[in-house]
Amino acid sequence: MPWFVTGPLLGLLVVGLFVVANQPLGASGAYVQTLKAARDEHDVVVWRVWYFGGIFLGGLVATVLGPGFDVRTGYDAMFAAGWSKPVVAIVVFLATVLMGYGARMAGGCTSGHGICGTAQRSPASWAATATFVVTAIVVTFILTSVTSLGDLTMQNGVLTK
Amino acid sequence: MNLIGGLFGAAFGFVLAASQLHEYDTIHKTLRFEELDVFLLMGLAIGVSLPLLWILDRKQIRTVYGGRIQLSRSKVERHHIVGGALFGVGWALAGTCPAPALAMLSSGALYGAIAVVGLFIGLHTHDLHMAGGLRQEGDGEHREVATAEP
Repeated sequence: MPWFVTGPLLGLLVVGLFVVANQPLGASGAYVQTLKAARDEHDVVVWRVWYFGGIFLGGLVATVLGPGFDVRTGYDAMFAAGWSKPVVAIVVFLATVLMGYGARMAGGCTSGHGICGTAQRSPASWAATATFVVTAIVVTFILTSVTSLGDLTMQNGVLTK
Repeated sequence: MNLIGGLFGAAFGFVLAASQLHEYDTIHKTLRFEELDVFLLMGLAIGVSLPLLWILDRKQIRTVYGGRIQLSRSKVERHHIVGGALFGVGWALAGTCPAPALAMLSSGALYGAIAVVGLFIGLHTHDLHMAGGLRQEGDGEHREVATAEP
């Protein structure tokens, strides 16, 4: 679905969750509550755990209705750049550990701060969002300049050498 | 409320997968400025939700299960910036983030599992570091609002 359809849809979902539950459509909070539930803690916000599961299932439905379930790594671009399986696995792992840490510290992620927080006109969210977007662009630039990821180009809609 | 959570999560996951936001390539090529669709998508999402939330907030509408609508706005603090920077580094490297990682996994991209596990570990590690002074989640995330059970 094109961006001019999914963008507004996402915006309406954000508004919708406020109208129904007075809550933001963030994602890192769902992870936090799911982890708490897994560790059997007392004060779990249970509906966020259902929400966590919902994201997984909703994605599955869209995949099945669309391109179809396809078992792959999801990181073909990195393999095309010549990185080995262990390297890719380690990069993804360390990168997501860093993301989780940063999201918790910042109090939100791309959906939480990036969309919900900015839509609520929160200065903290504007700052967090601007920071992670600029940082990500700079890091990507470094990655493409310094590593073989820079050798990749778009061919038939896929990043490849 | 659980069902509502599940439904909104499903709708969110559906839109993410339908817009290819769960793919590494989508994020990577956007950050390389080879395609601007994701920026446009996010811009439109904000463009739609910001004015609507502003109006609903002004009218102080009653939400269905959460009492009067309550938007959250916080002053910028150091942890927003530092956390944002760390997040940005990880985002550029992994080409995914919390919600898309789940959709990535459910689309068959198995390394999404590494991403999900990594995210859990990262989130938890921060909590461990903050033990004793647990930071409240920010504006974009869950906060304590009285929610009536349906």
